[in-house]
Amino acid sequence: MMKEISMRGRGNGLCLAVGLLVATVWPGAALAANVTGTVTFDGKAPALKPLAMDAEPVCHKVHGGKPVANEMLVLGSGNTMAHIMVWVSKGLPAGKTYPAPKTPVTLDQKGCQYIPHVTGIMVGQPYRILNSDGILHNIHTLPKVNPQFNRGQPATVKEMTTTFPKPEAMLQVKCDVHPWMSAYIGVFTHPFFSATSTDGKFTISGLDAGTYEITAWHERLGTQTASVTVGATDVTQNFKFAVK
Amino acid sequence: MSSPTGVAPPKPHGAHEAHHEELGFWRKYVFSTDHKVIGIQYAVTGLLFLLFGFSLMMLMRWNLAYPGAALPIIGQLFGEARMPGGTMLPEFYNELGAMHGTIMVFLGVVPLAVGGFGNFVLPLQIGAPDMAFPKINMVSYWCLFLGGITMLGSFLVPGGAAQSGWTSYTPLSVIAGSGQTWWLIGMIFLITSSLLGALNFITTTIQLRAKGLTFMRFPFFVWAQFVTAFLLLLAFPPLEAAGVMQLMDRVAGTNFFMPSGLVVSGQALTNVGGGNTLLWQHLFWFLAHPEVYVLILPGMGIVAEIIANNTRKPLWGYRSMVYSIIFLGFMSFIVWAHHMFMTGMGTAMAAFFQTTTMIISIPSVVILTALVISLWGGSIRFNTPMLFALAFLPMFGIGGLTGLPLGLNISDIPLHDTYYVIAHFHYVVAPGTIFALMAGIYYWFPKATGRRMNETLGKVHFWGSLVCMNVVFMPMFITGLAGVSRRLFDAGSAYDFAQPTMHWNVVSSWGAWLLAVFQLPFIFNFFSSIRNGEKVGENPWQATTIEWSAPSPPPHGNFVGAPQAYRGPYEYSVPGAGKDFVPQYEAS
Repeated sequence: MMKEISMRGRGNGLCLAVGLLVATVWPGAALAANVTGTVTFDGKAPALKPLAMDAEPVCHKVHGGKPVANEMLVLGSGNTMAHIMVWVSKGLPAGKTYPAPKTPVTLDQKGCQYIPHVTGIMVGQPYRILNSDGILHNIHTLPKVNPQFNRGQPATVKEMTTTFPKPEAMLQVKCDVHPWMSAYIGVFTHPFFSATSTDGKFTISGLDAGTYEITAWHERLGTQTASVTVGATDVTQNFKFAVK
Repeated sequence: MSSPTGVAPPKPHGAHEAHHEELGFWRKYVFSTDHKVIGIQYAVTGLLFLLFGFSLMMLMRWNLAYPGAALPIIGQLFGEARMPGGTMLPEFYNELGAMHGTIMVFLGVVPLAVGGFGNFVLPLQIGAPDMAFPKINMVSYWCLFLGGITMLGSFLVPGGAAQSGWTSYTPLSVIAGSGQTWWLIGMIFLITSSLLGALNFITTTIQLRAKGLTFMRFPFFVWAQFVTAFLLLLAFPPLEAAGVMQLMDRVAGTNFFMPSGLVVSGQALTNVGGGNTLLWQHLFWFLAHPEVYVLILPGMGIVAEIIANNTRKPLWGYRSMVYSIIFLGFMSFIVWAHHMFMTGMGTAMAAFFQTTTMIISIPSVVILTALVISLWGGSIRFNTPMLFALAFLPMFGIGGLTGLPLGLNISDIPLHDTYYVIAHFHYVVAPGTIFALMAGIYYWFPKATGRRMNETLGKVHFWGSLVCMNVVFMPMFITGLAGVSRRLFDAGSAYDFAQPTMHWNVVSSWGAWLLAVFQLPFIFNFFSSIRNGEKVGENPWQATTIEWSAPSPPPHGNFVGAPQAYRGPYEYSVPGAGKDFVPQYEAS
């Protein structure tokens, strides 16, 4: 911060005042940095049983009558891992609150799969559940601290919305009609989370300078944590999961 | 009112000073101890709940007829959590289904048949001034009221009312939402109400009979209520205990009904195990099969009274009917497991329960046959109560006969939990019992109000109801025989095998909605006749039983003098008599 001020000249009191004001009111504005990284899988990927959807003719047809790849372990080139949730688990200023966005997080049911398979949401943020399949689905959350949500979604009900009142990482969402359907959702009090896609990359944006604990989670391979110190520039933190 | 000798007639037992005590509004009409007021409270409560339970069913029938379609206007009233955009969610359908059954059985038919008719008619028919325990009688009603409020309140709790069916099978009911807890608390109130009522009925029947009213001079209605009271007294305690046990499983972490190794939605349940989930089914059906007879016996009693009165003949085979109803009551305690053939019961046990089930059909057939034969050679008056009573006979007959395949293991298994079962038991309790109850309302309305209900409106109500009831339930035999499960919120629209039956759901649903339309003349008639009905004297039907000796409506204490029974209950068309009926209460 002192370096920045000196660059503007010692006599520029106005700039100093504005800089101090901005730094006080919106400390992350000028100094926000990103934590980025890549998650990879170490070792030979196990052969997972594909999802058999024969029991649901509509979805079976959507997938051309072929078995569907298991969503539990999805790897990209270079063994990058999809479906990893990464979030700031420690280090955020105590007592600071982050308003939940009004824009909903969407979960679609398409081809008897939940899309996305892993996602994050803030406490109180709308969770919009779509039924693109046009068949009966059931959305059953299996939380430990939040109230359970267990509701059928008939073919003609294309959209439902709910919210999560408490933070909880991670909780499973299941369909009791189609037992292979599964998704995971992390509910956070802050916006510092990111889920990977097949390129294995995640980005947590807008963190103030400081030291944080970052957690990476996989539905079967558990969690890993790392400590990162954020300054004025982006920080890279990679994770590597393996079958134990 | 002095006698010819100048000696005042004896005051009825129990009337005494209470006869002259001026009661305030609350004690006279709300917290009343008068059996007639309590009977009317029960009856009105029962009728309101029948209407409410019927409304739940009409909503269900929308989704069965038009699965997934938005219900215009009304559907918008239930909110996004139950009917988003007017489309019914399966969970709401489950709420409606569980609460329809519970309300119709425990808050509709039983309060009307036992609480209403039993309280109002039974003391009058035996010549008693009131029930043996008037304050217990009042508590009994208010327990029912609290139970009803609890059940209604459960619709407002997060997650809605109970969704585990009216049978509340475990373990589903133990892991269900909080509405189930309310259901159990409500049931405890309702069971307590029935137990208190049963004690009162038995004591009253035995202790407060008029002089000369021997057991074999009882009107058949009294026998029906007497046996019903024993069924309630002996069958409900196991369910009350079971209800408390299920409540403890839900709120106190006990495991009476929770077996080990339960996996729900792919997750193993922790802290459960060691319980026996079939125990709930045994305890439930140990009540619920006698409960079937609690629903039907008062109806048989009403029909017997009305048939005797309107054929102007004694009941044919009165003694056989009495012995049959006692035997039926006894047997009803040892048939319960025919509801459980699907649970993997051993062949020896299945054989036992099949045998008892076949045996219990015999006394039912004896009673029904006696009622049919009673019509033979009678000079039948086709008034509204008689029309309903006559319709009861074939409707109950269809219900009973279609129950036989369900009582046999081999044919029950493919029919279990299909619409065939729904059709069967609704024929017993809807066009069966409810027609009998309607007959009773038209028949004893003049005694309660001093006025007669309108006959034309009554006949419109009857013929409309008769046709619509059959339009509602007959198609269910077809869908049931096609194998469609009774539990499907969309009537099986997702399944190929159910497609050929889907149009029958449209027929049933329109039958149900028209049935509602045909209840409007009854509702109008009921309220209108209280003020504008034809005024009648104490015995407008020229009937023989003791209640018709009391003024209409009867005063507090019921009778002007202490009534006495001089003969049997159905002395109609006695050869040589001056008129075609000789009342039981008149000395020759």
